[in-house]
Amino acid sequence: MNRLFFKNILLLFFLVTTLTGCVNLKYVSDFSSSSLKSIRNFEEIGYSFTMNCLENCQEEKVNNLSFIALECDCQANKSADSVTLIIYNAVKGYLDGLSNLSNNSLTNYKVNVVAKSLNQQDYKSLNIEKTHVDAWLNISNILFKAFTNKYRRSKIKEYVNAGNEPLKVLTGFLDFNLSENLSGKLNVQKQRLKDYYFDLTNDTTLSTFEKRNAAADYYNRINKIEDKQKELTTYSKILKKVAGGHQKLTDNLQRLNKDEVMEQLIQYSSDIQDLITEYNKIAK
Amino acid sequence: MAKLTSQQIKELADYFLAMAEAIGDYRIRNFHSLTKAQNDELSASSKQVLQFADELYTLAATLVLDDVQNSLSTIKQVTGEMKNTYQKLLQVQDALDIAGSAVTFCKAVVSLNPHSIIVATGGLIACLKAVH
Repeated sequence: MNRLFFKNILLLFFLVTTLTGCVNLKYVSDFSSSSLKSIRNFEEIGYSFTMNCLENCQEEKVNNLSFIALECDCQANKSADSVTLIIYNAVKGYLDGLSNLSNNSLTNYKVNVVAKSLNQQDYKSLNIEKTHVDAWLNISNILFKAFTNKYRRSKIKEYVNAGNEPLKVLTGFLDFNLSENLSGKLNVQKQRLKDYYFDLTNDTTLSTFEKRNAAADYYNRINKIEDKQKELTTYSKILKKVAGGHQKLTDNLQRLNKDEVMEQLIQYSSDIQDLITEYNKIAK
Repeated sequence: MAKLTSQQIKELADYFLAMAEAIGDYRIRNFHSLTKAQNDELSASSKQVLQFADELYTLAATLVLDDVQNSLSTIKQVTGEMKNTYQKLLQVQDALDIAGSAVTFCKAVVSLNPHSIIVATGGLIACLKAVH
């Protein structure tokens, strides 16, 4: 009776340890994988410093009615793109690592490989009953998960702590380059168009029809630029949300079992999903 | 003189842009009262100021690299360690697979059945190859 009671308690302990581990890491995994997915929208932006430079260069040639194939000097803009790409790759690499490590399927080991290699006859010759082997399998499964999940949890805590500050800095500067510097260049482009089309609509050699066409062209182009800026603004919100969620995760590494913390992480994951939807709507 | 940060350069770009916008708006509001020469002068100034703003935004984006060097090296180190841990956890399954194949191999050797030995050896080799 006592032995049975002890066995049940032991089993319950392992079960609880394992399930708790799964729950904690599930929210970390959900948060990091939705963060990774949202960060990857960078690859969908379809606009860069170099593209902006080439557009400006071509615009100037068109305005000057120049057909001489002069090279556009966009070296500085290429450097700005490569700096931005370096930062993006570092952020993506970190979130990719966190997402892989916190994924519960990582420690779903098949421990029955050894048992499978023994058939019914082996059990008899070794004096082992099949029920004992099955019981061992169940226990070892639980033990394996408990041990590896504990190891994973401690490692994840270590990495999240070490990665929080650099992640904050890097997402901040990625945001700075896109929503302030690249968007700033788009503001410059808008002002150039305004100046140019103003002169065009005041050109006395043009007919009213031509002036109306020029004005319509101006508004179309401004709308297109503003669409790009909306994409950059939404991406900026994504970066802020990811950094905020990661900060929340870091602050609560010791209390990941608390419902309140889990709810906040779920909220961050859900907000990030909403931002991905918002981004995709604008990008279409 | 201290070096300007990327943030300070971006702020300068914002000022230049605001200045160009002010010149442009002034020209639009006073277009008919200005002479052609004055209009041309203002237009050329606006173009130049816009060009400065454009270049400063690009420069600010490039100088960011100086500000993120430490963060980049820390996050790269953390990412590398995460990958190592991930690989170690993946290898646990490899160890289990090898153990399973080894048991099958031992059984075949004990049985002294040549066909079983060949099959089991193949299984163990395949398992080891998959791991390395």
